[in-house]
Amino acid sequence: MATGIERLSALANGNIIDRVPVFCNLLDQGAKEMGMSIEKYFSNGEYVAEAQLKMREKYGYDSLWSLFYAGKEAEILGCKKIIYSKDGPPNVGHLIIKNYDDIHKLQIPKDVSSHPAFEQQLKCLKILKKEAGGKYPICAYTTSAMTLPAMLMGIEKWIELLLFGPTEVRDELLEKCSDFFAKHLLAYKNAGADIFVYANPFGSTDFVTIKQFNELSLPWIKKDIQQVGIDGIVYYCGSSRMNNVIDTVINELGIKTFYLSPMDDIAEAKKIIAGRALAAGVINDIELIRWSKSEIRAEVKRMFDAGMPGGNFFFGTLVMPYAIPEENIKYMLDAVYEFGHL
Amino acid sequence: MLKKLITKYNEAIFDTDKKTVFQIIDDALAQGFSPEEIVFELIVPAVDNMMKSVGEKMEVNLAQHFFASQIASELTEKLVAKFISIPEKKGNVIIGTPIGDFHGLGKRIVTGCLYAHMFNVIDLGLNVSAEEFVNQAILHKSNIIAISSMMYHTATGENGCLKVRKLLKEAKLEHKIKIIVGGAPYRFDKKLYEIVQADTWAENGNLAGIVITELLKTTQSWQQE
Repeated sequence: MATGIERLSALANGNIIDRVPVFCNLLDQGAKEMGMSIEKYFSNGEYVAEAQLKMREKYGYDSLWSLFYAGKEAEILGCKKIIYSKDGPPNVGHLIIKNYDDIHKLQIPKDVSSHPAFEQQLKCLKILKKEAGGKYPICAYTTSAMTLPAMLMGIEKWIELLLFGPTEVRDELLEKCSDFFAKHLLAYKNAGADIFVYANPFGSTDFVTIKQFNELSLPWIKKDIQQVGIDGIVYYCGSSRMNNVIDTVINELGIKTFYLSPMDDIAEAKKIIAGRALAAGVINDIELIRWSKSEIRAEVKRMFDAGMPGGNFFFGTLVMPYAIPEENIKYMLDAVYEFGHL
Repeated sequence: MLKKLITKYNEAIFDTDKKTVFQIIDDALAQGFSPEEIVFELIVPAVDNMMKSVGEKMEVNLAQHFFASQIASELTEKLVAKFISIPEKKGNVIIGTPIGDFHGLGKRIVTGCLYAHMFNVIDLGLNVSAEEFVNQAILHKSNIIAISSMMYHTATGENGCLKVRKLLKEAKLEHKIKIIVGGAPYRFDKKLYEIVQADTWAENGNLAGIVITELLKTTQSWQQE
């Protein structure tokens, strides 16, 4: 049977070995798999690695995650409090930037790899690499310069600074966040990650106007990406749509993989991409919680009908909510393996 | 003249151009338009116009929503102070994010829009308990509790909207206090508001003002016992 890496490499060359690659993003579910609380689960990289390997084996999809939760990046930059929930992702409970002076004081660590807040992820990555390296792509989550400030100062204050604040302060923060992005990604790369999900809702016209995208987001995307290269980069705007910017991103940066929003029109995305990159069709995993088996199958079929013609297509989920019943995950994957098969 | 002003104002709002927006308002005042005309014929309709554009599938994004709501709120506050008689508020709205939710952007956009729609908003902030939502609604004789969630598990959690509903039921206040919810999970599943037992939901801040105005028609006033 083909491995995830083989499926992905084949797809990048315009081929399908047996079926399309499948990226099923189960994070908090690892705690359930290990029979422990979410807080305990994320305290040790060994737990996360073990659960990632178990869940991939159990469901048969193609990806492994080194991401614990997005707030980890804030912890590396000084966040002292993470709020844990019993049924959802941990949240940043301490914003490290409360005023402009905190922006001036913000220090980016020289080496993310040796930072104590990265220790457990490093441990997780080493295990994943040892157990599944070269067989299944190990994914890393790296937040863009334009989006990271939302985790450091809160999204309200960040949009306020973007729209109404002094540009020199805004740019000082973006400069620091871009520096962190590159160092963070490098730490993952050095530890063996293969795929780098470039998380940037501010790279979507659901967040900013097309003018703001061209004049503000795009230059910072370029700065981020030029520091690290495009190898393994996946353009991802969270649940925000990207069809309006795909053409520009391909032309200006040459990024080769686009992880669409569930709200994007898949057929339109394929038309825009026109064979120049891969596209992931992404399921609405909020509705997945309550959909019936037949509704799940119909939705997956709809996605493949739109995405499969012309190839260069694979399947993905957003960050699957903890509340999705296990059987719905299985129904979804059964349908994906059926419709994504050769 | 007013039509021309409205066009210019709407363009500046869509361009998120604060300097131009304020210049247009200053010019309008200088030309003799009253603060009342500016608020009710320019600012509030511009908020609603943004909603109409969404309906017409024009791109209206988060930055524009945020900008429009903040500007509307700021200008309304500034201009209402110059009204000949202070307008009566439509009612008190209690707003906050539920337990475990630390995302305040949606709440802030809604608050700005509600101010422009002449509601008095009592913002309880982030991570608010169900008891606090209900206690504050009683204290302020509010007919509306608005709960804004960014995360699925905080939208559906047992200590969020579901508990607010339970408390209202226990206190026999459901005829007086209605619950409106909003935020990302509700946009991805338009039936979710029913699952969390809210009375209704609104897709964005602009709609919230309209939906709450309608919802108020179904509530019993605090004066009626």
